[in-house]
Amino acid sequence: MTKGNQMLDVSTTLNQLCTFRLGPLYLGINVTEVREVLLQADVTTVPHADDVIEGLINLRGQIATCIDLRRRLGIEPREPDMVPIHVVTMTDGEPVTLLVDAVGDVVDVDPDTYETPPTTMDPNTRELILGAYKLDTELLLVLDLDKITSVGPGGGHKGEPS
Amino acid sequence: MDEIISEFLVESYEGLDQIDQNLIVLEESPDDVGILKEIFRTLHTIKGTCGFLGFSKLERLAHAAENLLSLLRDGELSMSAEIADALLAAVGDIRGILATIEASEEEGDPDIEAIVVRLDALASPDAAKAAEATPTEDAPAGAEPTADGDAGAAAPDAEAPAEAATADGGADEQLAETASADPSAGDAETGAAGEIDGTIGATDADEADDRDDDADARLGDLLVEAGAAGRTDVEIAAAEQSLGDQREIGKILVDDGRAEAKEVEEAAATQQKRSVADSSIRVDVALLDRLMNLVGELVLSRNQIIQLASDGDNGGLGPPSQRLNLITSELQEGVMKTRMQPINNVWAKLPRVVRDLSRQLGKNVHVEMIGKETELDRTIIEAIKDPLTHIVRNTVDHGIESPEERAAAGKPEEGLLLLRASHEGGQVNIEISDDGKGMDADRLANLAVEKGVVTPEQVARMSEQEMVNLIFKPGFSTAKQVSNVSGRGVGMDVVKTNVERIGGTVDLKTERGVGTTFKIKIPLTLAIIPALVVSCDNNRYAIPQVNLLELVRLEADDEKNRIEDLHGAPVYRLRGRLLPIVDLRDQLGSERVERESTNIVVLRADDHTFGLIVDSIEDTEEIVVKPLGRQVKDLNLFAGATIMGDGRIALILDLMGLASEARLLEAGTTEGKTVFDGVTDSHSTVLDDRTLLLLGLGEQDRVAIPLARVERLEEFPSTALERSDRRTVVQYRGKIMPLIDLAPTIGYTNSAFYDNDRISVVVCNFGSLTVGLAVDAILDIVSHAEVLENVSDDFETVVINEQVTDVIDATSVVSSVLPIPIPQDEPPLAATSFDDLDSAVPAPTGA
Amino acid sequence: MTETAAPTTGAATQLTAMVIDDSRAARTLVGNMLGKLGFNVVAAEHGQDALDKLIGSDDAPAAVVVDWNMPVMDGVEFAREFRKQAKFKTTPLLMISSESDPRRVASALLAGIDEYLFKPVDSEMIRERLAMLGLRVGEG
Repeated sequence: MTKGNQMLDVSTTLNQLCTFRLGPLYLGINVTEVREVLLQADVTTVPHADDVIEGLINLRGQIATCIDLRRRLGIEPREPDMVPIHVVTMTDGEPVTLLVDAVGDVVDVDPDTYETPPTTMDPNTRELILGAYKLDTELLLVLDLDKITSVGPGGGHKGEPS
Repeated sequence: MDEIISEFLVESYEGLDQIDQNLIVLEESPDDVGILKEIFRTLHTIKGTCGFLGFSKLERLAHAAENLLSLLRDGELSMSAEIADALLAAVGDIRGILATIEASEEEGDPDIEAIVVRLDALASPDAAKAAEATPTEDAPAGAEPTADGDAGAAAPDAEAPAEAATADGGADEQLAETASADPSAGDAETGAAGEIDGTIGATDADEADDRDDDADARLGDLLVEAGAAGRTDVEIAAAEQSLGDQREIGKILVDDGRAEAKEVEEAAATQQKRSVADSSIRVDVALLDRLMNLVGELVLSRNQIIQLASDGDNGGLGPPSQRLNLITSELQEGVMKTRMQPINNVWAKLPRVVRDLSRQLGKNVHVEMIGKETELDRTIIEAIKDPLTHIVRNTVDHGIESPEERAAAGKPEEGLLLLRASHEGGQVNIEISDDGKGMDADRLANLAVEKGVVTPEQVARMSEQEMVNLIFKPGFSTAKQVSNVSGRGVGMDVVKTNVERIGGTVDLKTERGVGTTFKIKIPLTLAIIPALVVSCDNNRYAIPQVNLLELVRLEADDEKNRIEDLHGAPVYRLRGRLLPIVDLRDQLGSERVERESTNIVVLRADDHTFGLIVDSIEDTEEIVVKPLGRQVKDLNLFAGATIMGDGRIALILDLMGLASEARLLEAGTTEGKTVFDGVTDSHSTVLDDRTLLLLGLGEQDRVAIPLARVERLEEFPSTALERSDRRTVVQYRGKIMPLIDLAPTIGYTNSAFYDNDRISVVVCNFGSLTVGLAVDAILDIVSHAEVLENVSDDFETVVINEQVTDVIDATSVVSSVLPIPIPQDEPPLAATSFDDLDSAVPAPTGA
Repeated sequence: MTETAAPTTGAATQLTAMVIDDSRAARTLVGNMLGKLGFNVVAAEHGQDALDKLIGSDDAPAAVVVDWNMPVMDGVEFAREFRKQAKFKTTPLLMISSESDPRRVASALLAGIDEYLFKPVDSEMIRERLAMLGLRVGEG
């Protein structure tokens, strides 16, 4: 789904993005990659897991891994009283939820406004971004779901981005 | 059995097993040419070999299947459900013929026309088109309707058109019988035989409506086979049926006085039995897994509804929720059962393995099986196939003696190999025992030393059982020993690993001259396992029951039963044995808590028994094992997860991982290994002055040292020892630590530096000076030694385990050779020759 | 299905076939037949030689023709080793020999030989057998 030469084709294949907010960031992933959105979930922590792993939830009998997108992208932790929202995605047949602050609309994007991620970004964050759409008011960053979900011993994620 | 034929059988069976799997894959991805080629090759080999071995029927059948396959492979036909069914049926028939060959070395006279016609029809484009074009509703009158409905209706009519076989549903089953009744649909030569076949075959469709028609067990045939009725009588009865007689064929025969009622009943019973096997269908395991998940969901919903129903005013929800409860449980059980297979699926191949092997070795072995019907999840069946086969081969090869030896030992010449399987509380026990010569612990130990699996020093400390268990060590059965008999390059270590991988255990009991028993304990299924649920730091964890030995609860005010904290190495004395204790909180990285009572779960993982402290013990229950996502699945501590009744998740503990994380397992590094560490942990020292560390010097002598004096116990490989300034030293924690050879220093004649590949060292601190006392062995920690005499303030003699033991004072020992705090001299050396020194060990010289 | 159909000589790239025989004459002879069928021919002197050449190389031959009796490693042993390699599981493997004991031939087939050709052979026989195995080459 998010494999191979998507980097090249991204501007033509990603027309509809499911958007969400995370601190100062306006982010999106291809709408086809989003299964559902959970407003609340009972998360079981996993001791010794990578610190971006929030834990596990029961997704109708399947075990889904929850990734705290703030920690994954290296931005400051959310306020303690803020309840994160789970955006459920499926990668390699396994459900993974991304914890975000708020979910926005599904946005139609114009491929012509697509560009590479801003070079001013933190390189660790930039690595997890496929590209950006220049909207009228702000920049919509497209997440690289494959890289986002590559966490853990085999995943290549190396702790907190500095 | 002829060697080539036996090779042919083994090869073919293997190939067919592969085909079964491949055909299932093909249904998912029908265009996979690679797989088509593989299937084709197997059938091609069978066909080709048959030609040379003279099995012409089998050759013909394999050829028909191969031909159909080649059309698929070349893209001239595409895969369809009916083609897959026909191929599976053909594979089934090939198996049947192979079984006959296995039994008699001849292919017998199998009825292959039906299936060959079916295959040929599918391979012929015209037939395929005709089948598509012709509707099915014209099943002839007089046919008794079957469970399948009209398309599957049995057609006891030789005129039934071949085209009745259509693309939809079970109708293709019909093809075999009806098509053979119509010579135009298949080979002309099959016409005559097919006619009778069609007639008789159709009649018994009444008896077993929904069976598959391959591997037919037809009532009429059975009666003829049993001599209970004549072929002609059966044909006449069948003809009567075809003319509209509604009676069953057996009844017609009995009514006409052509057969005895009793014999018809027997035949019917036989048929019933056979058709159980024939009435099976193939279901993709992925589908079953999905069903299993859904059932799991249903269980959760049920629990919620039961909860609702029990909440006071429930509006009459009670009775229906009870019913829902029952149905859900039954459904769950039912879905589980669909994945179960009898262990005989694996065992069935073993007698032949034994027969061939024992013949090759000139032995005489009788195989007995008890509990063939014991059922296991198919994934487990798959997983134990190789381990079982290996153990059986090993038993025949090494366990059972030659007839001569047996006779000399007063045993019957024929050895016995007994396979036994049974269920026991959600687990399956499998035993493989023989009445052979048993294992020679010493010989095994020597062998293990020879192969470098263990050191002589390690062996010296081993119990007989531990020596025998050496056969499970990696490297024990290496290429040198592995004949073509005992293993295709795998050893018992692989057996053990494979069994443990599926959450099982292997035990070995052997008695010299009497025999050996391997006992394998495995979970019934990988999907659902019995587990103990515990909680720790507000989370629940599941512990597979197969690892569980017992539960111990200690009250805080119980002085006698408590965890002894020996300089940070917590142990519990369980019936006289020291049990290492691991606190699950430590392993999970949680904070420790003071507990009023302590729950210890006594576990076994990989030969190590240890106690796991948990916050509380909840319950034992059957849990559905779910895989972890790739982001967390490599964590050592967890084997998976499960969903509890309340919908929350519990992680399943991986006891092997836990034991190794807790450093209970041998590390085997070149670094010194900390046996216990007295410094890192000082929060709850319960040591008193009377706790002694018992040390071994040489083979016989022992001394004790107050444990309070000891900082750490370490083990160093002898290669780590260095000579420095005429002293023996070792690099330790970034410093040079002098080693004192304890035995000669206190007047014994032996030396710890001799013959030991790994040197046990007692580390003591004297102000800024850290010194290691090298000993042959660290034997035990004893807490209540009876004092015999007090020679002086710093030397006494005590009785430990009924043995008189000297207690040494570390300070006086060390100061006798190393002036504290400035070390300069060397211990006097015992008068022992250096000739037998391990070359790697630097000589601790004197003078 | 169509895009994965069996290769033909019409294909843009030439297929390679390997001939394994200890006799140079036989290598040349069989090699010529294979060449006539449109193959690019490589040769090996015995089973081990062939394995060495095959396993190290990225190029998998489309077909292999092997003799039975050879020094170092004979054709049957080669077949066994050859089939152990995942990438050669379904590569057509033809044996040409004068061995006619049916039981010996059966054992060769069990070792992994696909088709057994009694000497003498000609290119048409090879073409036929290969076609049966799904590899269509040459004219016809």
